Parts: sequence; C-alpha cells; structure tokens
Amino acid sequence: MPELLITLLTIGVVVGAIPGVCNYLILLERKLSAWMQDRIGPNRVGPMGLFQPLADGVKLLLKEDVIPPHVDKVLYVMAPALSVFTALMAFAVVPFGPVNDDTVPSFIRFIIAPNIDIGILFVFAIGSLGVYGIVLGGWASNNKYSALGALRASAQVVSYEIPLGMSVLGLALMSGTLNLESLMQQQVAGGFMNWNIWFQPLAALMFFTASLAEANRLPFDLAECEQELIGGWHTEYSALKWALFFLGEYTHMITISFLTSILFLGGWHLPFIAEATSAYPGLWLVKLLILSGKAFSFICLMIMLRWTIPRFRFDQLMELAWKVMIPLSLANLVMVMFCMHFEFSRWWLFVGSLALFAAWGTISANLREAELSARPGYVKRKKVAVADHDHGHAHGAHH
Amino acid sequence: MMDWFQSNPMTLVGLVLWAVGILWLMPAKHGGKPRSRILGLVLTAAGLVSFCLACGNPHSELANEVMFWVFGIGALLCGVLMITARNPVYAALWFALTTLATCGLFLLQSAPFLAAATIIVYAGAVIVTFLFVIMLAQQSGAAGYDQRSGQSVLATVAAFVFLGAIAMTLQTEKLDIEVRAVPVVAAVAEPAPAVGGMPGMPGIAVDLPIGAPATPPEPGNLLSVADADHPVGNLKGLGRSLFGDYLFAVELAGTLLLVACIGAIAIAPRREQGGL
Repeated sequence: MPELLITLLTIGVVVGAIPGVCNYLILLERKLSAWMQDRIGPNRVGPMGLFQPLADGVKLLLKEDVIPPHVDKVLYVMAPALSVFTALMAFAVVPFGPVNDDTVPSFIRFIIAPNIDIGILFVFAIGSLGVYGIVLGGWASNNKYSALGALRASAQVVSYEIPLGMSVLGLALMSGTLNLESLMQQQVAGGFMNWNIWFQPLAALMFFTASLAEANRLPFDLAECEQELIGGWHTEYSALKWALFFLGEYTHMITISFLTSILFLGGWHLPFIAEATSAYPGLWLVKLLILSGKAFSFICLMIMLRWTIPRFRFDQLMELAWKVMIPLSLANLVMVMFCMHFEFSRWWLFVGSLALFAAWGTISANLREAELSARPGYVKRKKVAVADHDHGHAHGAHH
Repeated sequence: MMDWFQSNPMTLVGLVLWAVGILWLMPAKHGGKPRSRILGLVLTAAGLVSFCLACGNPHSELANEVMFWVFGIGALLCGVLMITARNPVYAALWFALTTLATCGLFLLQSAPFLAAATIIVYAGAVIVTFLFVIMLAQQSGAAGYDQRSGQSVLATVAAFVFLGAIAMTLQTEKLDIEVRAVPVVAAVAEPAPAVGGMPGMPGIAVDLPIGAPATPPEPGNLLSVADADHPVGNLKGLGRSLFGDYLFAVELAGTLLLVACIGAIAIAPRREQGGL
C-alpha cells in the first residue's frame, strides 16, 4: 500500500477518533468529578449515563449559533477553528502506538508523520501557536472579561513555554535525539530501569506541570476562571464554536498525556508483558493498549488534580514559572551536562534531582517566611503547628 | 493536454470521480429532492484515493516547486498586508503569517530546526507579546498615532541601507557560492559508490577529500564540513556549526541579550521602588 494512502488513512482515523474520544473524556471528567465530590454525576441518558456525550454533541450541533453584533466577525469565527487546528496539528508527530514495529500489519501506522528529526520541538512549535485561538477569541469578542482572559492567557503561555522546553532539554542531551520514536526505542531497549523517569524525575514533574499550564487546565485556568471572568475568553461563544474550543483543550490533554508517557514512562514498554524481546501473537495490540493506558491514567490524574489543587493567583502563577521552574530546569540541565561530561553513572541524576527539589523547596520556604516577616502584624508560627500540618517545605515553592 | 490524459488515465478518472462526488454532496436546489449523502461520500473517497494513487510520490519536483511559490508569494503578500493593515491587531496577525510562510521556506530547504525555532520564538512568543501590548494599550480601537508614521526619514534610510547591504552581499558572494557548491557535490557523489553499502544515504561522504584542488580550504568553517559522523543539515550538524564555527557570534548575541534583559529589569520598576 502506498505511503500516501497510509498517511491519509492515519489522518482520517485520528481526526475521526479524537472528537469521539474527547466527548467521552468529558463524560469521564464529569463522572470522576462527581465521584470526588460524592455525587452521582450524569446518569439519565443510557445505562450509567453512557450516551450523555452523544446527547451533548447533538445539543451543541443543533443549538442556535449566536454571533453577537459587537464582535470582530472574521477573528471571532477564526479563533475556535484555530485552536482545534493547532491542537490536531501537534498530534501529527506523536506516536500513539508501537512504531517501527514489524509485527504491526503494514497498512496500520500509529503516527501521522514518522521520522521527524525535530519531533518534540515540532510539538512545542505548534503548541505555542495554540494561544492564538484564545487571544484572538478574547480580543474579537470585544468584551472586557474576554479581553482580560486573553491577556492572562498570552502572558501565561509565553511564560510556561520556557520551562516546558527547558525541562526536555536534559532528556534530549542524555538521549542524543529529539525524535520521539527513537526516544521511545531507547527506553524500550534498556528495560524498566531505563525509563527516563528514573533519571529525570524533576524534569518529568516540570514538564507535566508546564504542559498543564499550556493547556489551560486547572489549577492554571486563569484565562477561563469562571468565578472572576464568567468564562474568560469564551464568554461570548455559544454552540459549536464553544464546543470547538473545548475540543481543542481536550485534544491538548490527550497530546500531553501521550507525550509524558513516551518521554518519561517508556512508551509501550511494560515489564514482563511487553518487553523488547517478547514475542507473541497480538503483541502490537497489547503495546497499543499499554501506551493508551498510560496516557489514560495521565488524563485521569489531570482530572483529579482539578479538584485537588485550588487555582493559583496570577502573581503566584508567574512566580511558579519564573522563580521556580525556570531556575530549576536550568539547574537540571547543568546537572545533566556535568554528569555526562564526567561520565558519572546516570543514577546520580536521580539523587541530584531529589536534592535539587529539596534545596529549592527549602530556599523558597525561607524566602517566603522572610517576605512575610517584613509585613506589619506578622506573628511567627509556632514550631508545633509547623510539625503538625505543614508536610514538606518543598510545597512552599507553590505558595 | 490530450497526451497527458492518455498517459495518465488514473488521474483523470480520479479527478472526475472526485468532482462528481463533490457535486453530489452540494446542497440541492431549493425545493429539490435531497440526495443521498452516503453515495456522495463514497464517490468522493474513491476519487480522492485513485487520484492520490495516480499522483504517487508526494516528494516530486513539482510539489516542491508549487510549495516554494506558495510560501514565497504568501510571505511577500502577508508582508505587504502587514504594512498596510489599518488595525494593529491585524498587522500583528499578518506578521505571524509572514513568519509561518518563511518557516515553510526553511522547511523546503531541509532546515526543520530553524523553522521550529523561528515559530517558537517569533510566532509563538514575540507576536503574542505584541498582541498582548496592543490589547492592553488600545482596548477602544486603533489610536490616531497608528495612522501616522513618526520617524519616516529614519525608517526609510534604515530600511534601504539594509536592503542595499543585502543586495551587495548577494551580488559579491554569488560567484563564490557557485564555486563552493560544485566541488562539494562532486566530492560527495564520487566516493559514495566506491565505498558501497550506503546507496540510501546520499550527501554523506565517507572520506571527504580535504584539500582537493577544487575545494578551497575554509579555515573559519572547519567544523561545518560534512563527514560520516557529522552530516551537515541535521540537528547535530547545526549544533556543531553554531557552537564551533560561530561560537563567537553566538556568545556575543547571548551577551547582548543578557545586557538587554538586565536593562529591562532595571527600567521596569517605578522610580520610588528603586527604578532608574
């Protein structure tokens, strides 16, 4: 089968599957949220509410599509399309199953554009364009709340792009490539103890956090921020245009989860079940399921984080990016360079990452304490209280 | 025209099928009977597939040519629109499109890293910051001072001096580039079959005849010379070139940016808070 047809087929499958998957992710989000808040969640349409997404989809399609008279029409219509377009484009280089694998039938390929040398950089480049959807939507709506949301989004995305890129630099240095397929291959070849999370745990944490901010998920959803800004940049949107914004956001979530699983958790590798040496019929299906399962668990994590960590204040958000994550990722990079140059064991990176995390936490907590003590009316907390419910000063960095 | 059709019947069949399918999918005339969507979809898909099969290789010379013109004209057009746009937000957007078109040209020249870096830095950060500032400063439409040019003389002089410099460089360096390009191609093409076993890797010469009469030695760019371990053009080659041959320029640019950064931090706070 010619290459072109396979590519068309893959594109068709991806573009067809993602909206459906996103629809059910919304159901998952509502169900999980309900579970966390001791509610039942949607349960009216179909058994256990399983057809709720279909009903929602039909509703969004058939709803009246209002374009307010005071908007900039061209940009207003373009913004949701842009946000979906960029989110789907970024998915083009993400392998969502076993790639370069002989056991996979020849007409199936689990990546749209294989063998892109700059791999992860392409995702960042397209991802950085995603903010245009939000900024233009907010500006074109000609509404103060929308404009505020758009302003916040642009500042936030530009800031978090830096730690997002820098956290992966150490990984690129270690593996000598930015190609997602070969990054996966290297981890698979080395087995469970060669997963990148062992050597770059801090980078994994920062990558995940920064990509949450890039995707505008809680606790970083200041651009949307219902309590302050009504709906932020999408206040003026309705029906399918509104749905497209959320299709973009959920596609972004899917991309992030796949990327985190591929970069740090060994891709389709799972000890004893799918190793580099294992061979049994249907292995490629198992590999596909493992990679999707890892991605799925990250999506669940994101949804649960939503109800666990409260939303940041804007200055806290900026401090987290500029005062915590950027210096930390720089230090992490220097550490990797040091380790590689003197050819130390890679396990020192694990120790070093933990030490960095602890050191930065202590510094941040002390700085915070010093800043607070300069305020009028400051009362020093008692030691007992500290020992009682202040687990780990490392989290002081976030406050 | 007829000859082409006779030699490529599949292309014609595919095109016709595709066209009929699209025609079928168009909304029916007012009052007319609605047509079957499935039939239209099947026709369109069949036409598309057979057209793609007939066209075959997407890496063809023609595709390259077409993309070059699309990106080149696109960049130029968007640049003109950027200058002439009345609304600053639209100007910034045209600027973003110009950058994207330029990145397309980079991709055509097999420089994906440059393209990705340009998108990240310019389209992703700089223009977003422009939009940020425009939205902060002008929430009530375009201001009067956007409709006038402030430093028209200086701007014109600077632009044309720059243009002259580019023209001069291109004209004086033109011969040089041609001389350089020919022997490198020859050197790469000749030893490859002799070594054997690497037919699928053109452009990588195993033992490059350094000091051959046709290749003038380039003392400044020693690291950029391709060899088996370090092919020029991919990420590794670019890194070697940047941090080997052009280390001084890179460090200078870095220092300049650092100075600008410190300056911005010094200017930013209000005077009573310790600014300048």
